[in-house]
Formats: sequence, C-alpha cells, structure tokens
Amino acid sequence: MGVVKLDYYVLVLRGKDSISLVNGLSTNKVDGTCTTVFTTQNAKIIDMVDVVVSAGFVALIGHNMYKDSLVQHINRKILAQDVTISDASTANQVYLATSEIAVPSNVTICKTFRGWIIVAPINTELEVTMTEMEFENYRVENMIPFQGKEITPSNHPLACGLGHLVHEAKGCYIGQEILARMRSRGKQGKQLVRVSSPIDDATSVGLSHSLAIRRVK
Amino acid sequence: MSPPFHIVMDCNTCETAPSVVINKPEVVEVVLTITAKAKEMLSSAFGDDRSHALLVGVLSGGCSGYMYDLQIVESTEQDCQEINLDGFRVLVPNATSHLLDGIEIDYVDRMMGGGFKINNPNAESSCGCGESFA
Repeated sequence: MGVVKLDYYVLVLRGKDSISLVNGLSTNKVDGTCTTVFTTQNAKIIDMVDVVVSAGFVALIGHNMYKDSLVQHINRKILAQDVTISDASTANQVYLATSEIAVPSNVTICKTFRGWIIVAPINTELEVTMTEMEFENYRVENMIPFQGKEITPSNHPLACGLGHLVHEAKGCYIGQEILARMRSRGKQGKQLVRVSSPIDDATSVGLSHSLAIRRVK
Repeated sequence: MSPPFHIVMDCNTCETAPSVVINKPEVVEVVLTITAKAKEMLSSAFGDDRSHALLVGVLSGGCSGYMYDLQIVESTEQDCQEINLDGFRVLVPNATSHLLDGIEIDYVDRMMGGGFKINNPNAESSCGCGESFA
C-alpha cells in the first residue's frame, strides 16, 4: 500500500450557485464534499470527480483526459447562474493514498471510496511510494474502477462499479431517467467483475486477477 | 462516504488560477407566442393588475440538461428583455434568450401533469415529465 501520483485536474468553481450547479448535473447528491459522476443524456460518463467544498469555492478533481469534455459540458449549462470557473491544475498536484497518511498543513486530504485523495500545491512534493503496477493491482483487488480503464465515455456508472455514486432519491439530473429505469427494471446491461487472469476482455490487470465489464445474464 | 479529513485548499494557488473562458451565448431578440388557454389562465392569475410580469427563464438541470423556470414577479435583478404579449408583461433573461426564441406558452388542463407548458422549437429532446429539455 502507498501513495501514487494521479494525472488529475483541479477546477475551482466560485459563486453562490456552484454547489447547486454540480448537484443538478451529476449523479450523486452533492451537498458537501463527496464523489460524483457527470453523465450525458444517455447516461454515459463524462467524468467521475471528487467534489471538495471549501470556504468560498468548490473544487472538482477529475482525470485530465476528460477535463475538456467536462469543462465544455459545464460551460453550456451555466446560463445565468452565479458560477465562475478557474483551472488550478497547474498550481496543484493530485495524489491518491491507499491508507490515511499525515500531510503538511497546506495539503488537502479527503477520504473517497478508492482511498485518500490528496491535493498539494505544486511546490509541495509528496513521496510516491507505489508503482503504477502496484496501484493497478490495488484497484483490481478492491474492484476500484479508474478513468480510462473502466470509467470511460462508453460506459454508464452502473456498468463500471459506480452504482454507489448514483443517488436513488436526489431528483433529476442529466441521465437520471435512464439510470433510474435500469435500476427499477433490474436491467443494467453490463457490470464490473473481477475474475482470475488471464482473460481477453480485461480492462485492468492485477497480479492474479483482472477487472472486466461484462454483460449481466 | 466518510467526512473529509482535512481540507485547506485556500492555498494561494487557487486564487491565482487562470479563469476558464465561459462561452456566453449570443443574446437573441426573443419572439414568443401564447395560446388562448394560457392567456386565459394568466388573466385569472394576474387579474387586472399589470404591475407584475411573467418571467420565463431556463435553469440548468433536470433530466435533459435545462429546466424551464416560470415565475410571476414584480421585478428581477436578471438582465431581461421585456415583451408585451397581448397586454401581459413577459420577461425573458438575456442569458437564456437563445434557448427561448420562438417558444409557445401553452396551458394543459388535466389532473396529472397539467399546468403551463412550453412548446420549444429549440429543444432537441425533452424528458418524460416535460419540465426539462436539451
């Protein structure tokens, strides 16, 4: 177990409507610090983000490969709301620790379902103690999906192990009708599975097991 | 989800972060129509008082991305264009004018799902309840 550096962005939303905007556009009930998923009208994933609510702003922390899509998505939805966005990605670096660690006082650390997300100013380097392979094995053993692997624009949150981030009673958000219908009818199509290696359809490969997204029979 | 352990992120770094350019859509001079039934319902809501106005706006959210927002207001802080529609004052926020040009305000009289309804030629799709559109 250890610490790995993530290729993540940090977007900062300011304005009184920031939380309600994020809540209205994503699957989880966002009323404080949490993890949520932005989805399209077809319930396909735009990105999974950690939402960090702090005094005066809301930070969205997600994977760099989906930053442009997310910014474009949010951008179109701001309309008359009191929200401004800035990109603090180059000023911060994001890590994930598989267990709680002590961090300097200028570093943010939040518990998420996949470990502890750490946001450090660019001049505060943390020691990376985990290789990419070790991190992948940690994810496989704990069935933790990751952006670019299981969390992709081809999948919906229920298919890639993010069902716990889809709130059942929060009300409308983009993609909600489809996800609610899948749940109520018990038909989610595909789901995340962990199986012994080797397999042909692995999305992530660990030492002895792999993750895959397979159709539910 | 466990509560956060330690959040600082006041960090100076965020304060100086570059702004993401928000593409403000072009303001459109809105043309809208109202059905006889909707006019009748507005008449009963307003009475003879024409000091109030019907604010027709759009909020982000809903199943399809945008939700209609209808309010009777005396005034609003939003930057709006005012339209006189058969004697009624209708306010349309400029920020959402591109989504509302050409709409028809209708009233559907039924036990479930009734009320004011917006027929919007700009909507590519609507959600089941008709309150949101994309």
